[in-house]
Amino acid sequence: MNMVALAYGFIWVAVFGYVVIVGRRLGKLSGEMDELRRRIDRLRPS
Amino acid sequence: MPNENRTASPRLLVACAITAALFVIACKAIADAPREITMGLVQKIFYFHVPCAWLLMLSTLVCAGGSVAYLFGGSERGDRVAVTASELGVVFGLCVLVSGPLWAKAAWGVYWQWEARLTSSLLLWLMLVAYVLARRYGGAAARRLAAALALFAAIDIPLVYFSVRFFRSIHPQTTVVSTLGPGMRGAFWLSLLAFTALWWVLFSARMATENAYARLVDLEVLLDQAEEKKS
Repeated sequence: MNMVALAYGFIWVAVFGYVVIVGRRLGKLSGEMDELRRRIDRLRPS
Repeated sequence: MPNENRTASPRLLVACAITAALFVIACKAIADAPREITMGLVQKIFYFHVPCAWLLMLSTLVCAGGSVAYLFGGSERGDRVAVTASELGVVFGLCVLVSGPLWAKAAWGVYWQWEARLTSSLLLWLMLVAYVLARRYGGAAARRLAAALALFAAIDIPLVYFSVRFFRSIHPQTTVVSTLGPGMRGAFWLSLLAFTALWWVLFSARMATENAYARLVDLEVLLDQAEEKKS
């Protein structure tokens, strides 16, 4: 039982960990998009 | 400026819901599946060990396909597909290499044997790890090198799959699925379907971020040029 639970558990931890990593990259991407928007706003004629 | 475009796509949400439903059904089928006579409960590792192995191979093939498109056709999209698939290959390969030894300890009495199937699987996973590391830390110059590495990884797939036929091995044969009883077979195919759906959801989500990043880089270049003109 322990081995089965350990194996199942590990798979979900690995998948969840990957989702967290992708989520963090998405956060970084959002930050870069915000910076891009600010630069575009600065370029627009006032 | 408000972040009005930052909600998940409806298609991805539907795919997530379908995947979750498939996992609920698959888990119920695995729990209800009869216990194997000699190994008992630990045999249930089979229901997700094999799907993870399938996803390791699928990821490698997709990575190699994308790399071929990039190397020989100059396809940037192919390159992004390869990067995305390589990461998923590392994740599911790790799942294979952890769940397998746990099953082996209970079934064979040892965690690891340096036999053909296990060794070639480890080699395949290490090649994908090398691909991911090269792409992450190698800079632009490592793109072609990594793509060539993906092709080498794809060549390892037949070795992984057929190793149990060609070499003396204690690992179960490739024909094991066809020998499963009716209750076990349904649970296995449901689990395979659920894991494949999970792979597709993760692939789509990761691919969307890669595409967005590529568009962002293009826009930054255009913006640099516009700023230069203005000044």
